Amino acid sequence: MFNMPEYVGTDLAQIGVDRTLCSGHGICAALLPGTVELDEWGYPIVVHAGLDPQEAETAIRMCPARALYRRSGVEPSTH
Amino acid sequence: MTALVDLLDDAGLTGRGGAGFRTATKVRAAQEHGSALIVNACDSEIGAAKDAWIVQHHLAELVDGAGLVGFPGRVRFAAHRGSATAQTLAAAGVSVLEVPARYVSSEETSLIALAQGRPARPMTRRGHFVAGERDSQGRRIPPTVVLNAETVWRIAQVNRYGPHWFRQMGTEAEPGPRLVAVGGHVGRSVVVEAAAGWRLVDILASAGGLPEDVREVGVGGLGGVLLSADQARDAVWDTPGMARVGGAMGPGIVTVWDPRDCPLHEVTRMLEFAAGESAGQCGPCMFGLPALVEGWRDLCRHPDGQTRARVDQLTGLLPGRGACRFPDGVARFVASAVLTLEPHLAEHAHGICSTRGVTRNVQYA
Repeated sequence: MFNMPEYVGTDLAQIGVDRTLCSGHGICAALLPGTVELDEWGYPIVVHAGLDPQEAETAIRMCPARALYRRSGVEPSTH
Repeated sequence: MTALVDLLDDAGLTGRGGAGFRTATKVRAAQEHGSALIVNACDSEIGAAKDAWIVQHHLAELVDGAGLVGFPGRVRFAAHRGSATAQTLAAAGVSVLEVPARYVSSEETSLIALAQGRPARPMTRRGHFVAGERDSQGRRIPPTVVLNAETVWRIAQVNRYGPHWFRQMGTEAEPGPRLVAVGGHVGRSVVVEAAAGWRLVDILASAGGLPEDVREVGVGGLGGVLLSADQARDAVWDTPGMARVGGAMGPGIVTVWDPRDCPLHEVTRMLEFAAGESAGQCGPCMFGLPALVEGWRDLCRHPDGQTRARVDQLTGLLPGRGACRFPDGVARFVASAVLTLEPHLAEHAHGICSTRGVTRNVQYA
């Protein structure tokens, strides 16, 4: 099951979104225009890979759901 | 134990649960970190049957393989609660991790959570759980490795018969035997020992062949793709061959669709099931799957550029935005179904449906 050979997504960035924590406040999109957009349900789409570390830190600190985190850009393998 | 890693490396064994990650790498990491082992025998994908087949027919070798990778007293066998597989495992005296019968319950990180006494729901992978990791709340999860039942059975075989034996089947790039469950509108449902490089029709031959009147063949269940019969007749069972039709070998499932059923209706049923199986943790899945069901229904009722664009938009919104890749799989399946069923959607656009051997008027699927 979970036929998922490689990571294909829009989230390859220095910040990751913990989807189990994110509740769609949308603060990240307000703080990081051009990097984060919101989908039609208000959940973030990370559209831009490069991000100023200071901006990233601010967004991570401001997320009310504590759903944003720094990441290396390399996703762990699945199976 | 390093000798085992070398054997697996030489054999080129890859995970048989779907993602096809190199087993030697995983086993090496598990040994380095002293990881607990979970053998996944859940057969959770729609149409899956090989895990049950191994437990019924090769249990001794399966337990042997688990003992090669896992440490004594730290090996568990995951199977759906109340299943014949769970009963057989329990009767054999191994430690059974009973898994709720939900689609995402048997995802790798769900099993790790369940083994920790938590709900069987996917966890975000901030790092590698095989090395020990923290969950979203910051609680430490001890190092745990999850291997599919067929992978563990193959480990026992490679250890016993050697890499050369293993490489006698399959291709250079994708060596070794691999099980495929064949079902649906076939003479008999079977689990076949096939290998990369076979033609799909050769795999289907063991189940009585591909019937003449068939229109669609599913590969990989809800996380796979839907092929036209013509595509299925030409398809080669290996990663490049399946990639040409948008799919992968995945967990080894081939399902022949009954030509008497309207395929649009079948897709609707599968999507309704999928929307109900979300763990409800991740917004894009929780809201995206019901929206996809609605979008698909609209496409079936009024197939035109607008309804088609909506389905395409939704299948583009789902991938890569969940803790697990369940929504990615469903999006891939729908994207392939939209392409494969274009002729049938065109019929419905004209108010007809030519299934059950007759052409009849329809309102919608």
